[in-house]
Amino acid sequence: MKTSTPSQPKVASRDEWLAARKALLVKEKAMSRELDVLRAERRQLPWVRIEKPYVFEGPQGPCTLADLFRGRNQLAVYHFMLTPGSDHVCKGCSYIADHIDGARQHFEHADLAFAAISRAPLGQIEQVRRRMRWTFPWLSSNGTEFNYDFGVSFKPEDIAAGRASYNYGSQTIKSSEDMHGTSIFAKNERGEIFHSYSTYARGDEVLMGAFAWLDLAPKGRNETDGVMSWLRLHDEYEAD
Amino acid sequence: MTTHTTGTLEEWLAARLELLDAEKELTRRSDELARQRQALPWVRIDKAYRFETDAGGATLADLFQGRSQLLVYHFMFGPDYKVGCATCSSIADGFNGIAVHLENHDVALSVVSRAPLAKLQAFKRRMGWTFPWASSQGGDFNGDFNVSITESQQREGGVEYNYRREPAWQSRDDGGMANSMSGNPVADNAAMAGTDVATYIRERPGMSAFVREDGVIYHTYSTYARGLDSLWGMYPWLDRAPRGRNETGVWWRRHDEYDKA
Repeated sequence: MKTSTPSQPKVASRDEWLAARKALLVKEKAMSRELDVLRAERRQLPWVRIEKPYVFEGPQGPCTLADLFRGRNQLAVYHFMLTPGSDHVCKGCSYIADHIDGARQHFEHADLAFAAISRAPLGQIEQVRRRMRWTFPWLSSNGTEFNYDFGVSFKPEDIAAGRASYNYGSQTIKSSEDMHGTSIFAKNERGEIFHSYSTYARGDEVLMGAFAWLDLAPKGRNETDGVMSWLRLHDEYEAD
Repeated sequence: MTTHTTGTLEEWLAARLELLDAEKELTRRSDELARQRQALPWVRIDKAYRFETDAGGATLADLFQGRSQLLVYHFMFGPDYKVGCATCSSIADGFNGIAVHLENHDVALSVVSRAPLAKLQAFKRRMGWTFPWASSQGGDFNGDFNVSITESQQREGGVEYNYRREPAWQSRDDGGMANSMSGNPVADNAAMAGTDVATYIRERPGMSAFVREDGVIYHTYSTYARGLDSLWGMYPWLDRAPRGRNETGVWWRRHDEYDKA
């Protein structure tokens, strides 16, 4: 564990601190309200009908996108980076995954189902899932166009030709065939499925609750050696 | 769900790109807010707070567990609650299991409540949580950090919660939390904690941050009420869903109570 020595802010009386804290609170409240507006705008996005019959491989056998809703009307898919045949387990995706089982105990009761989907074959997924002790549904999209259609996997020829566009064109992928993201789907009463939203890159950051805690900590994210350089898989930290 | 506007991929993409700009802008502003938070002055703590923990009596310094920073979640569990607050429980479900990441990044996470330790331990076992949970019973800690008030303070008013002075208490619906909801979320929460409303709201939710340098402990930050929103693990998911939080009252339960709801 690394202990940093930040430049210490000035030490103040409780009254001085309170004045500074209240000034910050005004900005925090303004931000809360702006986030509320942003969320309302997000809910206004049009929905796009999904026509392709995607079939995924899960521990209980093949299943469709509709099956993943498990009786709910909304579905969140986390695009977990797991490349077929690679033994690399993405630290950032695992960090997000460490938050999911706690959260879904609740949001699944608010009409939102969850599934993680990766391009790796099911056997490879199951190995990681067991090791990390996650219980959320995690399926393989191996052999389908799903990951490519939702902008999280890139074909080698597209990478080579410089047309592997990620995060709505914000980034051109130069090597990684798989990236991370979150996609949201909705189902109507006729059982038709729609895509409503996808987010990538820093858009996934709010799913990393530990960052929300660090953002309130005196030293913040404290990433002097690079973004998430301190992060490990939860079973790879050295014992105290 | 039937009346929602549908569109072509191109129409959706145009709307999505516009939203992306707004999202990126708020992400950057949120970074800036975090920087300003870190620039807050520190207040030296001179009081010798005492806690009861699984390892026995402890000081505030002990709660740091060798780290230089300590984040405390003020979990609403007063001595007269039968069980811990259901709303705080749903927040705790979000941070249980992630403390390992914080602990390996020079940050200790501890939950503190005023109920006696045995009550906290029994409830923690029931919920299957692993984070450290200390009892501050009998000390000034909760009062000093504005998350517990006494019966006389409640009667007479004048205490501060969320940096606002409160009038003498009278039965009302909002209690400072979840106050955009219809119905009576505070009464619902009180009932779920097995107590009356007045007793329930003598505890308040919050988080406080501390830092230790050269053996001295400083208070750096506290937040309350909606300031805790970002720590509530289920919301970032629901905030992306087509129906959003979609709540008219307290729909959440303790995670082992959903079937009974």
